[in-house]
Amino acid sequence: MIVADRKSLDEILWMVSDCNKILIAGCKGCVTVCNVGGMKEVGILASALKIARKKEGKPLEVDEKTLERQCDPEYVEQIRDIYDDYDAVVSMACGVGPQFLSEAYPSQRFFPAVNTTFFGGATEHGIWEERCAGCGTCIIHYYDGMCPIARCSKSIQHGPCGGSARGKCEINAELDCIWDMIVKKKMEQGRLDDLLMVKAAKDWRTARDGGPRKSIREELTK
Amino acid sequence: MEGECHFLEGNLRARKRVDYVKKTLEELGIEPERVEIFNLSSAMGPQFAEIAKGMTDKIKELGPSPVNC
Ligand code: SF4
Ligand code: SF4
Repeated sequence: MIVADRKSLDEILWMVSDCNKILIAGCKGCVTVCNVGGMKEVGILASALKIARKKEGKPLEVDEKTLERQCDPEYVEQIRDIYDDYDAVVSMACGVGPQFLSEAYPSQRFFPAVNTTFFGGATEHGIWEERCAGCGTCIIHYYDGMCPIARCSKSIQHGPCGGSARGKCEINAELDCIWDMIVKKKMEQGRLDDLLMVKAAKDWRTARDGGPRKSIREELTK
Repeated sequence: MEGECHFLEGNLRARKRVDYVKKTLEELGIEPERVEIFNLSSAMGPQFAEIAKGMTDKIKELGPSPVNC
């Protein structure tokens, strides 16, 4: 899923400083699963913003609505009847949300309430870790399902580097060196020679280096 | 007592959540001391009364919530 962190109240308050009435739009997708922008978090942010503005003597009216998803035009329609009742709409979805909303409703302003951080998962309750960098040409079959692009600090494909020590990465003593894990697994399975394979250079044009990406599935298009 | 909850780790989790509420109050410019968590066993009546009195005194000193006046 896409993982995000809530922005600070100060930053959100600044965005809505000229508003008297706003809508907070949550998302029932990824951000609900990572406990940052679902129905519950929408309620918490609404209360916090109302309290802060009441304290300033500039009360803010806040409505709440949590959409099925904000990355699908059909669900973006869920605010069609109400979107222009507000001075601005604060989206708690990942960065896709405010953009799909602003494309659907060009006359309204949409602000992000979260910082979208990475593609990953929960390693335990309350802790999420990055696993994929969306590079567009997956190569983890070479590494038995572990991704050196997303999980090596240098994204090297022929590690470990000299900064790997006792299984940890040099940038942070808490961080497992993914190359240590890849090599260990190959050794355990007696397949260390796999790493000698000469591969063509990775095609980074499919990653962000090639500009914004688009995926077209002809069989599904109208 | 802390860590000795009927719900095992319940009061440890509750403490983390109280800390979260305190942090939120602080971000809002409201005194975080308005919310506290204490761990007591059911056999600690006098301590409970003492804490309740201390909390009442503290709130009186802080005055009404800036949001309610
Ligand atoms: S809008 Fe973002 S957070 Fe919501 S479901 Fe889509 S990708 Fe996930
Ligand atoms: S190789 Fe690319 S697509 Fe595959 S897991 Fe790593 S970052 Fe993601």
